[in-house]
Amino acid sequence: MKIRESVTQATARQLALAGVATFVAVWCGLTYGGLMPRVILPSPTQVLRAFPYLHEEEALVRSAGYSLYRVTMGFALSGLVAIPLGLLMGTYPKVKHFLSPLVDPLRFLPISALVPLFLVWFGIEETMKIMLLFVGTFVYLLPLVVEAVENVDDVYLQTAATLGASRWQMVYHVLVPGSLPTIGEALRVMNGIGWTYVILAELVNPKYGLGALITVAGKRGHVDWIFAGIIVILVIGVLTDQIIRIVNKQLFKWSEG
Amino acid sequence: MAKQLTPFGRFMIVIAGLALVGYGLHRYGVLGKALKVLAPDKKAEGTVSRDDFGASAVPSGPATTAPLAAPGGSRLKRPIKVAIVTWGGYAGGIYANNGFPPNKECLFSRDFGVEVELIVIDDTGKSRDAFRAGGDHGGVDIMWSTVDAYSLEYGELAVLKPKTILQYDWSRGGDAIAVDGSIHSVADLKGKTIACAKETPSHYFALFVLTQGGLTNRDVDWKFTDSAIDAANVFKAGRVDAAVSWSPDVYTAAKERPGARILASTREATNLIADIFVARGDFLDKYPEDARRFVAGWLRGVDLANKNPDKAAALMARSFSGVDLDAAKGMLADVKLPNFAENRAFFDPKGSLANYHTIYKTAQGIWRKIGRLNNVSEPYQTVDTRFLEGAAEYFPQAAQAAAPQQEFQFDTPARPSASAILSKKVSIYFPTGSSTLDENAKAVLDIQVVELAATFGSAYLRVAGNTDNVGSRDANMRLSRARADAVARYLASRGFERNKFDVVGNGPDRPVASNDTDDGRAKNRRTDFEVIPR
Repeated sequence: MKIRESVTQATARQLALAGVATFVAVWCGLTYGGLMPRVILPSPTQVLRAFPYLHEEEALVRSAGYSLYRVTMGFALSGLVAIPLGLLMGTYPKVKHFLSPLVDPLRFLPISALVPLFLVWFGIEETMKIMLLFVGTFVYLLPLVVEAVENVDDVYLQTAATLGASRWQMVYHVLVPGSLPTIGEALRVMNGIGWTYVILAELVNPKYGLGALITVAGKRGHVDWIFAGIIVILVIGVLTDQIIRIVNKQLFKWSEG
Repeated sequence: MAKQLTPFGRFMIVIAGLALVGYGLHRYGVLGKALKVLAPDKKAEGTVSRDDFGASAVPSGPATTAPLAAPGGSRLKRPIKVAIVTWGGYAGGIYANNGFPPNKECLFSRDFGVEVELIVIDDTGKSRDAFRAGGDHGGVDIMWSTVDAYSLEYGELAVLKPKTILQYDWSRGGDAIAVDGSIHSVADLKGKTIACAKETPSHYFALFVLTQGGLTNRDVDWKFTDSAIDAANVFKAGRVDAAVSWSPDVYTAAKERPGARILASTREATNLIADIFVARGDFLDKYPEDARRFVAGWLRGVDLANKNPDKAAALMARSFSGVDLDAAKGMLADVKLPNFAENRAFFDPKGSLANYHTIYKTAQGIWRKIGRLNNVSEPYQTVDTRFLEGAAEYFPQAAQAAAPQQEFQFDTPARPSASAILSKKVSIYFPTGSSTLDENAKAVLDIQVVELAATFGSAYLRVAGNTDNVGSRDANMRLSRARADAVARYLASRGFERNKFDVVGNGPDRPVASNDTDDGRAKNRRTDFEVIPR
């Protein structure tokens, strides 16, 4: 192994497969080999068997649909608010300095502490769940958007100014396209963060939801259900991540990365 | 002149096409059918009604008293680890341990030679994780549960061979239902929203009260929250019509929401929520002597805490975080700590009227009926009384004394002004013109009323006889009262104080259906059992 050696795509794929295979092998060894009791770590067969049951009896697909809907809504909402606000803050330092004492500390906001507050403010239906996911992703997205705008190279702005661009043109033709690819990447990260908060969002009055399913499984000691739920979340997470990646590539063809 | 479609235009055409196809599939029901296969809904909840409670009032199954082999085995080299929550019922153990951490300067260590560590884990799921890990691997040996919840979780824990070894308290006011001002009795809850933590004692308490009041689990709109505190908070915020939660949150919520009140609590339903300690099977197998001494030491602590409640409250205030002396006194007032003799009666299937076995079976039946439980266990499989019996040597007087006396005294008659929490309507058949109970009627009372009366231990039960309008009103009045009296006398013979029952003959004055049809008249010939708080 050399530092930063180039790896062909085929090798990369083989290595990824080997990684997964090693993980499964260790899992099998621990469970079938009897090294770990089954109440602590379920065997792969147990987890596989949980899927048909969860599908037939516990509305697994509907739950996945609802969770996907909530995460997407929370994520879209935070994009709708954070992108314009971040552009404004990144473009005009005065706005940024005005807002940053309010916004910067939000990154330390313990989202779990908001659950009881949000119950009281937004009730116990969907609004509360989506608002929680919105706040959870918004506080991370906003600083990233600001940074993306600030990182657009001054050379482009100076060139535009020399060419006689108006203020609006500088924003619309330089700062926005210059920062959007980075913002697109930030959105990918937000999608991931949204899925980590879904359990918290679905604690209260969930009719369906993967987070709720996992919570119930935890309370009832169905370790195999927990694994099954996590697997579904991981699969959805990876798929949505790929979709955002492809959309980003299509939309922001001008960015080299 | 043909114009090339832009990519956007092509995209829009594809979307429109998909929408058309989708609408067509929906219109002809294909989509609905596909959805049922691809994304089936949750299995529908079963229905529980009043008939599902009390079916186990007559004890059944083999006796539990396992051979009283003196527990031996090796001794534990580390403290016994016990998972508890912030709750008043641990006063006995806190007293015996002089706080939470293991130490040598306490009753457990001095008189019983064991060291005990009480560990507060307020999150139910996490305490189960700790129990699954076990005391040897950073978890706990003994965890708290309630009989109703234990019947639900037993199946999942069965591989650990858990056994109930001790009852440390009855909830006596600790669980309560707070309601909006418009709700005056359980019947008014029909169609209302009710918040509680799912599959917890709160949920069970709500199911019990609803069904005894003539509703079913499907008559209310459940809003399940993650914790009891959340349920109290959404109620306080006015988001739901009712909430079931724990003391003190539920009382605070009822006080702070304008017009709200407490509909019912375990202060009346005294014998419903029993808190118990469950130990891991491997712990009991390896260290039976430690388990016996733990039970004995705890019960000695109970005796002392019952004698010196102020000291117990002070110890609790010192130990629980966020609990001051007043709160600790309140927590202690919301529980009843059963002593050695009361524990014995509780675990004896033929002991108390509401005992471990009846509650376990009833609760298990409820969870099964609403589809939360597939496996069945007999109560005697889930309990091990050897440690309790082995503790007898420390309580020589109690061990020899007769069965414990009636806990609640009914010296004064029920206040006529007091309104009923709930009214259970039962049809009891008497021969025409007679007030004699036949065997059938007695069986109905055993099944439908004995558990209700035993569960609402501190409350009066108004027995109200009702007739149809056939015959003279005077005769019907006399007959309905005589029949109600016969019912009360029979119930008293089953082990209740006669004064607990307030006998009323309504005659034909309170029909619940039209007297013009056979069916209606049959509905009107009934006995109402109204729970009246003292």
